[in-house]
Amino acid sequence: MQSIDDPLEVKTQVEEYTPGSEADFERLYRNTYRRILGTLITLVRDRAVAEDCTQETYERAFRRWKDWRPESSAEAWLHRIAINVAISDHRHQRLRQAGELVRRLGRPAPGPDPAALAERSDLVQALKKLPTKQAAALVLRHFHGYSNREIAAALAIPEQTVASRLAAARKQLQAVLGR
Amino acid sequence: MSDIERELESELHRILDPVSAMSTIPLRRQPMRRGALRTVLGGAGAALSLKLLSGVAVAAAAVTVAGAATTGSINPVTWGQQVSEHVAECKAKLADGQHGIGDCVSSFANQHGQAVASEARHHGQGNGNGNENSNGSGSSNAHGNNSNANPHAKDKKSQKDPGASTDQEPTDPPIESSVNIPPQR
Repeated sequence: MQSIDDPLEVKTQVEEYTPGSEADFERLYRNTYRRILGTLITLVRDRAVAEDCTQETYERAFRRWKDWRPESSAEAWLHRIAINVAISDHRHQRLRQAGELVRRLGRPAPGPDPAALAERSDLVQALKKLPTKQAAALVLRHFHGYSNREIAAALAIPEQTVASRLAAARKQLQAVLGR
Repeated sequence: MSDIERELESELHRILDPVSAMSTIPLRRQPMRRGALRTVLGGAGAALSLKLLSGVAVAAAAVTVAGAATTGSINPVTWGQQVSEHVAECKAKLADGQHGIGDCVSSFANQHGQAVASEARHHGQGNGNGNENSNGSGSSNAHGNNSNANPHAKDKKSQKDPGASTDQEPTDPPIESSVNIPPQR
């Protein structure tokens, strides 16, 4: 019986899933939920949105579950979907912010969410300001421990693109943080 | 690994390790099946259509069976034609001054009724009584209830005059009896 508390242990274990099997998808959900949520927390504005995006990720994945190919990593496939969900959320958020700005003209903006403040740090705030694809590359590399090659496979992009995204992200972080 | 990378890694772990260690995983949100509503409506609609079609089919079958039981033929036109022809014959047989074809039609109806009696009884007493009643109706019609069907209708209007009808009634005993018999209903 595996321990799903240790991300590395989950990552190193070879999990086999059958495409289209609802029971296997449920197992995949239990095995990967925390890691997908962790990725999304760094990509979207707060934890509540991250949880919603995580559920959206699994909804999208479930719709395409029968088309998933067992040759590729299921978790990497989920990460790709999660990053797309985060990008969609950013677009929607920009639209929402424009609408809210119009609505609250002349009124003071509401204060920050206390729950969100606890998770804030300058670095993570800078990370959230990066383009989503760059931030995702950083999280996959420095939190989940993927290699550039694995990130490339997960996102279906060339390995060189991963390297350039990581380099651009680091450069921007240094600029934002003044280091 | 640069300083920024080390700092990034430690900060990510500080924030995300509690997430990885959380004990409960929420239930997976069930996707709304796109065809669910359509399936429900389609199912209900299909069931309703099936019931309607079944009802129509049963009603049609009942009419066909009842008609066949009454006429001896599945074709409902057959019995109608036979009756029409026989009524015409009965009218032609009437002597001048005679009125009423009830007996004549009744005998034909009885013959037909006996021919299909077993089937008619099989489908209920009501059909048998219907034949009986039709005999009575035939007599009544012959006495003017249906002025369109009877060429003597004008005469019958005059027969309603008590003074005019008394001379003719004794010459036609069956009419007299049918007139005096109150309707069974």
